[in-house]
Amino acid sequence: MSKNLILQTKNLKKTFITKKQKSKIIVEAVKGVNLEVFKGEIFGFLGPNGAGKTTTLNMLTTLTQPTEGDAKVVGLDLLKDAKQIRHHIGYVSQAGGSDVSANAFENLVMQARLFGVSKVEAANRADELIERFQMKEFALRLASSYSGGQKRRLDLALGIIHNPDIVFLDEPTTGLDPQSRAYFWDEIKKINKEGMTIFLTTHYLEEADQLCDRLSIIDHGEIVATGTNDALKKEIGRESIIIGMESITDIQKAKDLLGKFAYVNDQYVDNLSLVLYLEEAEKHLFEILQILDKENFTLQTIALAKPSLDDVFLQKTGRSLREGKEK
Amino acid sequence: MKNIQDIQILFIRNLKKTFKSPWWMIGLAQPILYLLLYMPLLKNIGGTAALSIAQIAQIFVPGMLVIMGISNLFAGFGFIPEIRTGYIARLLVSPVSRTAIMASLILNQLVSFGMQAIVLTFIAFILGLRVTFLGLALTFILILLIGASMSALSYVISIGTKNETGLATIVNTIYLPVMLLSGILLPISLAPDWLKKLAHINPFYYAVEATRSLFLGHYGDRVVLEGFAVMIVFIILFSWIAVRSLKNMTT
Repeated sequence: MSKNLILQTKNLKKTFITKKQKSKIIVEAVKGVNLEVFKGEIFGFLGPNGAGKTTTLNMLTTLTQPTEGDAKVVGLDLLKDAKQIRHHIGYVSQAGGSDVSANAFENLVMQARLFGVSKVEAANRADELIERFQMKEFALRLASSYSGGQKRRLDLALGIIHNPDIVFLDEPTTGLDPQSRAYFWDEIKKINKEGMTIFLTTHYLEEADQLCDRLSIIDHGEIVATGTNDALKKEIGRESIIIGMESITDIQKAKDLLGKFAYVNDQYVDNLSLVLYLEEAEKHLFEILQILDKENFTLQTIALAKPSLDDVFLQKTGRSLREGKEK
Repeated sequence: MKNIQDIQILFIRNLKKTFKSPWWMIGLAQPILYLLLYMPLLKNIGGTAALSIAQIAQIFVPGMLVIMGISNLFAGFGFIPEIRTGYIARLLVSPVSRTAIMASLILNQLVSFGMQAIVLTFIAFILGLRVTFLGLALTFILILLIGASMSALSYVISIGTKNETGLATIVNTIYLPVMLLSGILLPISLAPDWLKKLAHINPFYYAVEATRSLFLGHYGDRVVLEGFAVMIVFIILFSWIAVRSLKNMTT
């Protein structure tokens, strides 16, 4: 394993056998996943519900044994050194994991104690995190009374109280309102800046886009694409400029005119608008406007479109992540 | 060392949780109801000569203690919500051993159960029960073994089903025949032959017979040995399976 890698999997597989009406059904939840996560990055694992994200995470956090394959986490062998790995990783499950019969302070102290921290030190760390995540006003109330956002803050604090090298967050912002989500994105970025590697799963495109340095897209238990957000988008997506005009004749004329320029890769007419595909749309936007102005075209609208991760997903899987649109 | 400290931390947390909710007091009320509302019915069971309440207690209280031990099959009802909140998964990803997690759960269950058993015995004493200290001490060891193995079994079922309805169905299916076939409510010696034979394949039959012998001061009876042997096998078997199922738990 290279020095900069904190996590690496080779052909990681998980199959479940379920019985239905006496016949055995083999479910391949994860079909040979290869992942590489570098130290210090925010790595995203993007995919729809049921794609195998949580199952992969359960394997990487030593909760379930892989059916096949190898993995190294924090430099240790997942199959042989699970016990040691647990000292160095943090995990916040989708459900959260806080003890609702205790308050935030008690929760945090116990979690620290389970990592072998002394009573005094555990209380100090609990206080620090209560301060940091602004939990003071509710820290001494039972966790069962917390709002979604408050509970999520406690969950995150529990996941990092022992200063793990890498923290796994399973759908960290699912079910939160936009404000809380923005708060969490900021906090996750801060934790990351302080040196903790973050591995998060999500089915929110915005989350993957805003938060992650690199990501892998998983669908039906298989990785369909891996790379930085920009690289993934560039790989499939062409940027485009969409120009709206009043008459179809104007559009045809503009099309002929702009077709002469080499940087316009492709173009087509869609109703009363002209769609131009080009490599770097932003760079050529002004130039195109000047050309059209010189020839006295009257523009009604102009828009610049960049490929989204959804386009990437659509291209790789044939389905959209947004509300199950088909290609 | 780390294990013992972890068991301690988790055990204290479990105790706090148990006594924070008022439900444990209702658990205490149940054996009292059995003593006050059921035991008097047994008065005329011996035919013309009515039994004294002390005599009845000597037969009935041991069975009652065993039944309460078996009731630990319901332990999972407090455990399944902890799986659902992700709390158990959090422990499983921490350096705490699976053995420590299971031990702290079972120990906590034994505290609640032990308190119930003490209350029951105490009230029975007031009603006239007489038993030797050794007999009572050995009985308590035996029923704690029952309580521990049944709570372990309950956790295994909980991890398997992960929902209360499934647990309730399975536990009730086990509970009723086990109770009826152990001679808990009445001695199996009153039963017809075929029922006696059937009772002999019920492991708890031996436990009930053993506790009755202990209450009478017959420590050397074969049934005492059989009762302990069965329950020692149970505790080893079920706690082993319980730790294993935590290891393979999917969340």
